[in-house]
Amino acid sequence: MEPVGVAGTETRKELTLNMGPQHPATHGVLRLTLDLDGETVIRCTPHVGYLHRGIEKLAETRTYQGVMPLTDRLDYVASVANNVGYCLAVERLFGIEAPDRAKYLRTIAFEMSRISSHLLWLATHALDIGAMTVFLYCFREREWLLDIFETICGARLTVSYPRIGGVLQDMEPAVLESLEAFTRMFPEKILEYETLIDKNRIWLQRTQGVGVISAKDAVRWGLTGPTLRGSGVSYDLRRDVPYDAYDRVQFEVPIGNKGDVYDRYRCRMEELRQSNRIIQQCIAALPEGDILASDAPELDMPISGKKELVPEMSLGNASLAFGDRVSVAPKGEIYSAVEVPKGELGFYLMSDGTGNPCRMRVRSPSYVHAGALAKMCEGGFIADVIAVIGSIDIVMGECDR
Amino acid sequence: MKQRFPDFIKKILFVEILKGLALTFRTMLKPPVTRQYPKERRDPKPGFRGQHAFVRDAVTKREKCVACQKCAIVCPSRCISIRYTTDDSGARKLTKYEIDALRCIFCGYCESVCPVCAIVLTETYEYASYSRDGFLYDRERLLLNWDEFAARLKRDSYFNMFWRPAGCDVRRLPAGKREQQAIPAGRKPEAKSQKSEEENTENGRPSPSVGEGGRI
Repeated sequence: MEPVGVAGTETRKELTLNMGPQHPATHGVLRLTLDLDGETVIRCTPHVGYLHRGIEKLAETRTYQGVMPLTDRLDYVASVANNVGYCLAVERLFGIEAPDRAKYLRTIAFEMSRISSHLLWLATHALDIGAMTVFLYCFREREWLLDIFETICGARLTVSYPRIGGVLQDMEPAVLESLEAFTRMFPEKILEYETLIDKNRIWLQRTQGVGVISAKDAVRWGLTGPTLRGSGVSYDLRRDVPYDAYDRVQFEVPIGNKGDVYDRYRCRMEELRQSNRIIQQCIAALPEGDILASDAPELDMPISGKKELVPEMSLGNASLAFGDRVSVAPKGEIYSAVEVPKGELGFYLMSDGTGNPCRMRVRSPSYVHAGALAKMCEGGFIADVIAVIGSIDIVMGECDR
Repeated sequence: MKQRFPDFIKKILFVEILKGLALTFRTMLKPPVTRQYPKERRDPKPGFRGQHAFVRDAVTKREKCVACQKCAIVCPSRCISIRYTTDDSGARKLTKYEIDALRCIFCGYCESVCPVCAIVLTETYEYASYSRDGFLYDRERLLLNWDEFAARLKRDSYFNMFWRPAGCDVRRLPAGKREQQAIPAGRKPEAKSQKSEEENTENGRPSPSVGEGGRI
């Protein structure tokens, strides 16, 4: 047997390690191949596609309305955010504008989903690093929001609450009251999480100076959301390209400066407070009125051509009489993006005049962020890979689509 | 240097860790927030999108479906299949109605479009099975689902929120939905709860009530 590493004939041996797709800390079915030199990561290659369901292709065979429940399954942790992103894209394509009340309701639901998504992120991120207690505390508060979702639309996770041109149903006074009670209670709960981990020396050692990405690199890699803002770039679509009721509420966009795991963590914690603020303002300023635009398409919108008038149909439909070959949607293409909890979620829709999207492309933040893992993990320790994956907050349902 | 001295003391004394421990200790003395699931069951909120059912009509004792096929058209997962025959007067008669519950994604579109309030997603959520066969719901099974659900319902009437969503412009709804009233069902509730039910009911549909601490 040949001796290895004899003085003068030193050989460096790299070890290739497969992490995932069944690893509990990769948040789903992400697979990383790590080239290691001892404990140091030399190269990190992310592999995606284990949760590919062909949602983009599937959307071509469904009507614009039928695609909506599919978008729930992108980022299932914050499904309202995806629904609103899709609905806005279709509304902009069709030239529909949601009524004021619907806009506020959507903003409330959007921020509720941001809080529940960030709570789930904090829970799992802390669990990955070793803080078990935070996990249980976060789920305790998240439960309250899920209960509200269940009351307003009948589902806890895949809600489908927004509709093209509005929302499914109004939030009743009791729901708003409960939500208000939540926003009053929540800031002190954020303080609780911070008491546990914000200054904890184990947490600081695991997160500060780990997974650093500079502002320049972050922009180059196409990062968005808190992952970008942690590097000190102030970019938030809610403020820069306002949609729904975001131009009528006051909020700040927190940014970090070092671009490490800790700064990204701080950004999200501040966002929790800002979301809470937005919900409070929306409830206070909620206008009266309709919840669905009068020109919003029906759920059973036709794919093309003639729509038969039958006696049991609604009055809303009766005014719509399609000619034989009249398009049901305007032709054209559109890119529309919203700021979901993970970053910028964009929908690119191409319409050929029929009721099915001709092509739908989803620009999902998780996919872009998974790519940047290679940059963030390089040169770090293998244990830090876990912290970095947690800090970019990826959901594989959205990444693989 | 003055700034760093207290930090140094704090570090030696594990102040931040002791604060965290104090918090977890305080929480330990509070009542638990978890439920012991199989023993303690939680009631879903009214309108929860669970197991499918055909509402049994009070007069005909059969399903109300008119075979308009709207549900089959809107279903994003295409899990509904319908067959019907047409008689001399042109009226449709349902011959086959099947829902593949394993394909269903519970979006609630079918109950939203149904013009006669025939198909509903009930609040039943425990129906796991060891075989796939039981999940192809036909007409009889869907009616059976309704009977089971109605017998277990704790309220004295049932109104699905998708029939007439709150705040929805009624002109958008078909006549069958505009006229639909709450269906009397379930066990006889106790006198006390009946009273509170009446207070919460407005326009035939129950509204959510806020519990202790503002929680729904």
